[in-house]
Amino acid sequence: MGPAPEGAPGRGAPKEPEMIEPIMEDTESEENKDSPPSKKRRAGTQDGGLPPPVELSEAQLYQEPTNEELSQMKETENLFHSNLLRMQMEELLKEVRLKEKKQQRIDTFLHEIKQWLLTVPSTTVTEMTDQSWLPKGVRVPFIQKPYAVKGRFQFLPPTQVTVVGSYLLGTCVRPEVNVDVVLTMPKEILQDKDGLNQRYLRKRAFYIAHLGHHLSRDPLFGSVRFSYINGCHLKPLLLLRPAGKDERLVTVRLYPCPPPGFFRLCRLMPSKNNVRTAWFWDKTTPEEGILDSPTPHYNTLLLCDEVMESHLHLLSAMLASSPGLRDGIILLKVWLRQRDLDKGTGGFSGFIVSMLVAFLVSARKISKSMSGYQVLRNVLQFLAATDLTVNGISLCRSSDPSLPAVADFHQAFSVVFVDPSGHLNLCADVTVPTYQQVQHEAQLSMAVLDDKTVDGFQMLLMTPKPMIRSFDHVLHIHPLSCLYAACQRLKLWSELQDHGGDYVAAILPTLTALLERGLGSRLILLTHSRAPVPQWEINQNPPKHKDQGALSLGLLLRPEGLVSVLEMGPEADHPEAADFRQFWGSRSELRRFQDGSIREAVLWKAESMAEKRLLPHQVITHLLKLHAGIAESYIHYVGGSLDPLIRAPKEVHSTGEEALAMVVRAYDQLSRQLWGLKGLPLTVTSVQGAHAALRYTDVFSPVPVWLDFTFHDHLEKRDALLPRPSKPCPAFVDPINVVCHLEGSGQWPQDADAIQRVRAAFQLRLAEVLSQEYGLRCSAKASHTDVYKDGYVFRVRVAYHREPQILKESCTPEGMVTLRDTPNSALLDRETRLLPQLTSALHGLQQQHSAFSGVARLAKRWVRAQLLSDGLTEESLDLLAASLFLHPAPFTPPSSPQVGFLRFLSLLSTFDWKNSPLIVNLNGELTAEDQAEIHSHFLESRIRLPVMVIATPQDRSHSLWTKDKPSAQILHHLVNLAAKALPILEKHLMDPSESGDIRMVFRPTLDVYDVLIHLNPRHIPRHREAVDLPAASFSRGLLESTGPSRRLPVLCYDPPSLYLSQLRKAFGDLALFFYDQHGGEVIGVLWRPDSFQPQPFKATSVQGRMVVSQSGDLMTVPNVEAILEDFAILGKGLVQTVEARSEKWTV
Amino acid sequence: MGTPPAPYVTSETRTTTKLVRPSRTTTPSSPRAASIMAAGKKTGVKEKTPEGAPSPPGYRAIPIKFSQDQASSHFLYIKEHRVRGGAKSSWPPDRTLFVLNVPPYCSEECLARLFAACGPVQSVRLHEKPDLSETPKESSVFFCPKPVPGFHVAYVVFRKPASLPKAVALQGPLIISAESHPVKTGIEKWIADYADSLVDPEALRLEVDKFMEEYDKKTAAEDAKAEAEEGVPDEEGWVKVTRKGRRPGLPRSEAASLRVLEKEKRKKARKELLNFYAWQHRETKMEHLAQLRKKFEEDKQRIALMRAQRKFRPY
Repeated sequence: MGPAPEGAPGRGAPKEPEMIEPIMEDTESEENKDSPPSKKRRAGTQDGGLPPPVELSEAQLYQEPTNEELSQMKETENLFHSNLLRMQMEELLKEVRLKEKKQQRIDTFLHEIKQWLLTVPSTTVTEMTDQSWLPKGVRVPFIQKPYAVKGRFQFLPPTQVTVVGSYLLGTCVRPEVNVDVVLTMPKEILQDKDGLNQRYLRKRAFYIAHLGHHLSRDPLFGSVRFSYINGCHLKPLLLLRPAGKDERLVTVRLYPCPPPGFFRLCRLMPSKNNVRTAWFWDKTTPEEGILDSPTPHYNTLLLCDEVMESHLHLLSAMLASSPGLRDGIILLKVWLRQRDLDKGTGGFSGFIVSMLVAFLVSARKISKSMSGYQVLRNVLQFLAATDLTVNGISLCRSSDPSLPAVADFHQAFSVVFVDPSGHLNLCADVTVPTYQQVQHEAQLSMAVLDDKTVDGFQMLLMTPKPMIRSFDHVLHIHPLSCLYAACQRLKLWSELQDHGGDYVAAILPTLTALLERGLGSRLILLTHSRAPVPQWEINQNPPKHKDQGALSLGLLLRPEGLVSVLEMGPEADHPEAADFRQFWGSRSELRRFQDGSIREAVLWKAESMAEKRLLPHQVITHLLKLHAGIAESYIHYVGGSLDPLIRAPKEVHSTGEEALAMVVRAYDQLSRQLWGLKGLPLTVTSVQGAHAALRYTDVFSPVPVWLDFTFHDHLEKRDALLPRPSKPCPAFVDPINVVCHLEGSGQWPQDADAIQRVRAAFQLRLAEVLSQEYGLRCSAKASHTDVYKDGYVFRVRVAYHREPQILKESCTPEGMVTLRDTPNSALLDRETRLLPQLTSALHGLQQQHSAFSGVARLAKRWVRAQLLSDGLTEESLDLLAASLFLHPAPFTPPSSPQVGFLRFLSLLSTFDWKNSPLIVNLNGELTAEDQAEIHSHFLESRIRLPVMVIATPQDRSHSLWTKDKPSAQILHHLVNLAAKALPILEKHLMDPSESGDIRMVFRPTLDVYDVLIHLNPRHIPRHREAVDLPAASFSRGLLESTGPSRRLPVLCYDPPSLYLSQLRKAFGDLALFFYDQHGGEVIGVLWRPDSFQPQPFKATSVQGRMVVSQSGDLMTVPNVEAILEDFAILGKGLVQTVEARSEKWTV
Repeated sequence: MGTPPAPYVTSETRTTTKLVRPSRTTTPSSPRAASIMAAGKKTGVKEKTPEGAPSPPGYRAIPIKFSQDQASSHFLYIKEHRVRGGAKSSWPPDRTLFVLNVPPYCSEECLARLFAACGPVQSVRLHEKPDLSETPKESSVFFCPKPVPGFHVAYVVFRKPASLPKAVALQGPLIISAESHPVKTGIEKWIADYADSLVDPEALRLEVDKFMEEYDKKTAAEDAKAEAEEGVPDEEGWVKVTRKGRRPGLPRSEAASLRVLEKEKRKKARKELLNFYAWQHRETKMEHLAQLRKKFEEDKQRIALMRAQRKFRPY
């Protein structure tokens, strides 16, 4: 069902409610299920469903191969992973490449620009500080600080206009097509010493300011704006867009450049200074003893412009004859783009990658005949294996001794990749964390490509990896102005000077190094991302540094490191101790350890798992305050924002992992006791848990209950407690299911009814023996024994391993015994065999990935909060959560519930449920061949399988946990909800200034429902588990103190669910009921549109309907008025009001 | 659940034709068809009840309410229980009233009370669907949990045939929960249900013991019978071979026969020579090529599908 048909006409004849849009032509009605696949469904598969069966005639299949065909096959085998991959890549390239037609349009536009540029009028010569010649409507796109600078400026039309960059090379990537145009400034504009003190850079800015002013008056251009090259605020550029419908087609970027050979390269070596300290800090008299430190980054800016054209020649020579390389570069660009690596200052841009390909070609690691896929693979391989922060590479073949050596570059820059001229470091702006991220991603991608069971194409090139979804925790520093103070405190004067005052760029290396050291073993990867490069109108001032959004840091955490709360330092008498003390400040203490050593150490305060996960927050806050003076209010740490949603009502610190561990401990004890029972005639062969709490996925863990007897009624003859009608409903106690298998023996009868009786006898005996041998309070029923232990109630169920088999047996008329699944046998098999297996597998998963519990519970919480408690089985949700950990590609397994939940939403909304099964390889039991088999089986029998198919090693082909639900409509609804919730949540988490409520994605929209049934909180036992903690609270008959309890609590008594089962039974044909079992106060009712069609009278289907006379015919329609009253009657005491919301049923 | 096969039946290997179970003649389980046909008789005769509630042909609509306070009512559709000549029905023919659309809160006792006005009621039975046979109520309260009530059909059997016309002519609205006979719903009902679900272990034990005793008796009798028949040819001279005999045969089950087939297949495969003759070699190669082509074709289709779904837009 889709979104509410808002504003849709709600009056008139019985309108077909629009909320049901089946994804597959599949309705829930029984007739359809039983009948063979209808024509309709077949039709449905044709358009966008499964591929129709392949039709190749026998003759076609076995004809002699042509030479061409053979060579194509050979090529695919050699150059690509598989045929499918080859075609996928080709399709992708088709999608991102520029179309021929558009290219022509762009070419004409470029031509027009060129004409225009040459006719821009010149100006007279003025001093650079005198900017009065600039017209009113334009501002210089340059932060002129300090303002005073020597030199004269004059505008003259460019001597040359050249198109450079990816457009020319044919490696540009849609949809944001940028065409770079270089304007060579005439020599007359420039002066001899323009390399010094930003003079050249400012002249560039004046140049485009004047150009911008003139171009903006032309109707040819849709928009004329300024921006920065790679986000570097010293190098503005002019963006032009065509007017009219082509506005989105292309952005032309104008770069002014000096005439060739203008700068002397030796003056721009990394060790040289070109920004004088005295000038930059505006000191009139140069102070003694202050040295002008090297300005490598500033020098790089000038060098870039100088050598730009030679790079272009190099690349175009390389790509001219090699379409494979070109494809490879495009693929690499897509790869970078999906990972947000190529954006902003210090990004690993498409240009760097192109140059890297050039390097690998020159190093003979890539040959020109390779395919795009091979280029991608080889570059990733190279990146994964090479650390450019230690071993820089160089494209320069010259052995000129005057050139700076790679080691010189390493001193000045963190990442080194020298260009052919030998002077420019192409990776000058790339920081260590960015490169590490590139390397990390390359390693992950290589692993994906080598793994046959994952769709590498999808993972590498089609899946976006935004920061918030890739990193466990994210930290925003906002507002940025605090970083300037931090720069001063850290005395980063020369860095500031080098970066021309960009304090964010100046402090980043120091900041990240500080945090990396502090987080140490807790961290796998730290990265940073700055706000996107700004664009602004030409009549505005360039944005200031502090206005540029926030600095975001992403933390990928090492789960093993999160366990410890101790930072062990060196022994007290070691020389490093002082350094440790200095680093940690007042938090460092001398401690004596068990092995007798006395060491410096830092002890953090964290008791629960949830708090330990958030330790990085404490560390970062402390370190930033101590070393950089950044106050806590500037740090917006996003890591545990969703924790409150899985925190039990009374918890403060924990998110329930500890409570669940306590349940498991009690269960372990009980299972030992069961093993040790002496009074049973048969021995116990296995004790297995079969409850969500025992696999750590119960949203709110069971808690020990101690009862207040006066709160309850007593049923003396059964020695039991009853809820008292006059009191609020007692606390909800969900017994923890345990399956206890007894040994096989010849004594077991081989008849289903008799086995049932024998089991009942065992249940009785079990209760007796448990209370005799261990003094546990027990109560037996025919199918289970409830055991009250440590405040928990366990429901032990005796099982006989052959029983499902016996239920399956049936005899054919020929006397042959066959095994056929029956509903009873399937249910028993599921409950006594598969559920315990699943529980133990997921229990194991939790031991490996401590965040699993949190993710699975958040996922469940969210689905239930959308009133879909009964839409899906909880096991299927557990499996979905497990798949995030077992198949994390292209990510790493989540280490925080937050990121896991985001990926859950993304999985739910993007997975192609219709065309592929979700394989959850528990314990890694499935081999690649097994998985291929599951896939092919899926394709063969898609029509017979449920809408959502989850395969596990234990359940390879039937998808047991999704067999009955979700229905096609519910799944569709859920997918829609997830797709809507994800961007809202991500935006919220990525925006530090957002003050809205995180819970909003957990609040369901009630607009869609036809009827709302409001319930009385008095009788909702789990009322306090609601998403928004309710104001009212009721006594539930519990005592605080522990103590022996004579009687079992009231079990499984949940009025809302009892009510719902009655409603579904009575009105299930007419309506769907939606409810959140965690304290929902509202039941949403949707009428089924098909049942509201008048139907002819049938004795088998008059439930709740009435006969009306319609234009002479007698038809039946639902008796809605009476049904609405029934809602209130059936839920007497629980229902507050029944609110009918729309008039869909008035005939 | 039908009666489960006695244990020894599972081990039969060869049975005579005579031992074949007769396929049970399915009683025309078409109460639905029957009622439709019954309805069909009177098509065209559209009756109108005096109150104005239209009723389908053959039936009468009687409004029924939970209590006096309800504004609107459900309708019971009632008629005399009749079946077509051939069909068998265990309900007494001229004393049974067939009632459709009984609301979930209306129990058997309740219906009995409501129809007692027309004459003494012998029994009332609620069913999920129209059912021609009077199945005995499940005796065990321990092993068959009480189902959640929905809308039902009811068969009301009167003591005297004379009550039937009175019932058909009954005037509504019927009131289910009167002051003299309150019907529990909601919280009260759930608490009562909860109290009912608490079992008396002693009673359960007694029932189990009784059942097992009978079961043991039954199996013992069957065993004795099997013992007696052991090796004795029947009138056509067939001897039944069982697991217990001197030469126990394979169990006659599907799994066993599949196992045998599988074994045969493997034996055959071992004997066969592969890629021995040149033509075999050629054929394998061709087969490989054909597989490749087929896969290529499949892949192409998959791609076409993905293209149609715009799966190649990276962002």
